[in-house]
Amino acid sequence: MQNKIKSQRFIWIDIMLTLLSLAVMEYFYYGSRTLVLGGICIAAALVSEIISLRLMNRKFTADDLTCISDSLILFLMLPSVFDFKIAAIASVFAVVVSKNIFGGRKNTIFSPAAAAYVFLLTSWHGNVLMYSPPHVHTGVFDKTENLVSSASHIFNISGRMDYSNFEILMGNFSGAPGAVSILLLSVSAAVLLLRRDISAGAFIGTIAGTAFLAFFVPVCSNQWDSLKYTMSTNMVLFAAIYIVADRRTAPQRNYYAFFYGFFIAAFSYILVLTTAKENAIVIVSVLFTPVALGFRNLEKRIDSLVKEEKDAEDLWEAIKSGEVQLPEIEEVEADE
Amino acid sequence: MFLISELVVLLGTNLILSQALGISTLFVAAGSRKNLLWTAITISFFTTAGSFGACLVNSLLPDSLYDLRLLLYVLIIGALYVILLTVLYFADRKNFGTTRKYVHVSAFNCAVMGTLFTISDKAAADPSLDNLGSYIAAGAEAGTGFILAAFFLMAGFGRLNSKEVPAAFRGFPSMLVYLGIISMAIYALI
Amino acid sequence: MNRKNSVFDGFIRDNAVLSGLMVISPIIVCGDTVMNAIAMIYAFSAITFISVLAGAFIPKKLSYGVKTIILAAIGAVVYIPVKFAAYDFFPSVMERTGIYFMLIAVNSLITVHAQVKFYRMPKGKMTVSLISHILGFDVVLFIISVIRELVAYGTFCGRIVDADVIISGLGMPFGGFILLGLCCGIYRSIVGAVRKNDDSAGGDSDVSDF
Repeated sequence: MQNKIKSQRFIWIDIMLTLLSLAVMEYFYYGSRTLVLGGICIAAALVSEIISLRLMNRKFTADDLTCISDSLILFLMLPSVFDFKIAAIASVFAVVVSKNIFGGRKNTIFSPAAAAYVFLLTSWHGNVLMYSPPHVHTGVFDKTENLVSSASHIFNISGRMDYSNFEILMGNFSGAPGAVSILLLSVSAAVLLLRRDISAGAFIGTIAGTAFLAFFVPVCSNQWDSLKYTMSTNMVLFAAIYIVADRRTAPQRNYYAFFYGFFIAAFSYILVLTTAKENAIVIVSVLFTPVALGFRNLEKRIDSLVKEEKDAEDLWEAIKSGEVQLPEIEEVEADE
Repeated sequence: MFLISELVVLLGTNLILSQALGISTLFVAAGSRKNLLWTAITISFFTTAGSFGACLVNSLLPDSLYDLRLLLYVLIIGALYVILLTVLYFADRKNFGTTRKYVHVSAFNCAVMGTLFTISDKAAADPSLDNLGSYIAAGAEAGTGFILAAFFLMAGFGRLNSKEVPAAFRGFPSMLVYLGIISMAIYALI
Repeated sequence: MNRKNSVFDGFIRDNAVLSGLMVISPIIVCGDTVMNAIAMIYAFSAITFISVLAGAFIPKKLSYGVKTIILAAIGAVVYIPVKFAAYDFFPSVMERTGIYFMLIAVNSLITVHAQVKFYRMPKGKMTVSLISHILGFDVVLFIISVIRELVAYGTFCGRIVDADVIISGLGMPFGGFILLGLCCGIYRSIVGAVRKNDDSAGGDSDVSDF
């Protein structure tokens, strides 16, 4: 038990480290406003976590700091010029509505950050999907006049991306600041996979599903370009790591988690292909929550069946070895 | 690809998640997984067979008597209600006590009546849909949507009734929020 | 004390919407503005009150299924004059409420609750209980519509209010789902707390009575 608690905390620390490295990258590209935005998201999440736990008559423990990582995931998906008040509302939504109403960290049904992002998309669609270009540093209370659409949006519509491989790797293109640094995200994915902090099955399933479809049903004329651009746009890599492969929501067995990730990838890829829906993977991951829950129910049933079978085998072995003696038939009849 | 596009359409036109039709019935049936599934199937019967009747009413009813439409739909569903109960009684008397409950719950509710009105309004707006085939197809689609929503709820049933959920939110309130978030994702998708 | 509780249960303790989750579709879809809500309150109150009272004269010997069909038919008949009157009172709202105005006629308070609860009471008590149930629905719909209109559109009865942040999603059906879920939870915790207090008070009286 002690080890389990420790390992959960180590998972959180690992995830926080990778998220903070992405936040540093965001600061490099967009300046000090991002720090304030991140701070507001964290503060709102923390305060709402403490208050809601208090209302639920539960103690706030170190494990409840997961609300910080959730708010950081949300922050990294937001434009650097995003409104502070709306970001705070979204953080509260992530913690209270999409997590604590269902019982908090022990019974997480939706990925809180993904649900909050979808909430933002439905109420502030224009604000969420307009970004300032990289290297445009905005003051804390300034507003950027020339906001642009993301590279993902342009790619979804035209099937083209006018960026070099180096720019794509370094995240030097417009889009959700935390989700464009492909090199850093790849390193984060490797670290988190090696440390078993994320569901390997779900992550590999998502990547495999996206890669398979991007190659065999390409968005553009060149299959390799389709593969490259599909993986680096629409938050595919970011969502695969921090949302789909979230151990709290993904199926526990890698076998089921793989198919869960694969289905999400296939569904979202086809949506991008047919409707040019930006960041479809985040929306689809929320929509596939019942699928994840269904897989988890199946796992539970399999586990209980395996346990029953094992108990029966143990009993049989015990009978064979004479450790347990079956009652005589007459005794049973007499009991009845 | 076709299947996924169809699934998106089915989700988008889902009367429970997009228009909240029949949500009360879904919750009444949510007492157990078995109830939920059988109620969903019975409602599908009513929406499909009822749409056949709605088509007949719409084609025969003059515009001047438009306001009688609700009453006529009620009578159609009433007739189906009696027919289904009779069939179930003669088909399996042993389990009639159980099966009739699903029929009682499924006959008169927003899911069934709402489907009939939605289909009629669509047919009135688009004359190409004003034929028996389209009516029955739309009725079956609405019923399938209800079954899909029931599956969504069944998948989360254990978690939403878990002791981890705060007592005040356990059960119906958390189910409402759960369906609300899924409905929100569908809205964002479409 | 007990009599008072049972008659007025429908208003707070046994609220049709928050406790029984009945007639929630119109709240989720149409309860996004106060004007819509007022029109729905009018339709629900008139149709339910007249239908349930008229249904009280249905012979009790009839089977449950037949009584349900007759009650739904009464609701559908009552709907016609109510609709004509509504066109005079709320001409602009009628278009927006759409099919939900009609669906009120087959709401579960008429088709289910009437037989399960109201018709088992004496007529006078039934009337008071019915009114309290209707008022319970009306109050919840009104409160939810006020919150949704203020937060989703930044208006109150169509007049612009100085709202800082507008959450347009709350005006959509999914916003109705989430807000109603939150309201149900809050209502349950309040009722739970009140019952706890009542129980402890009741416990004392039991002891003294004994």
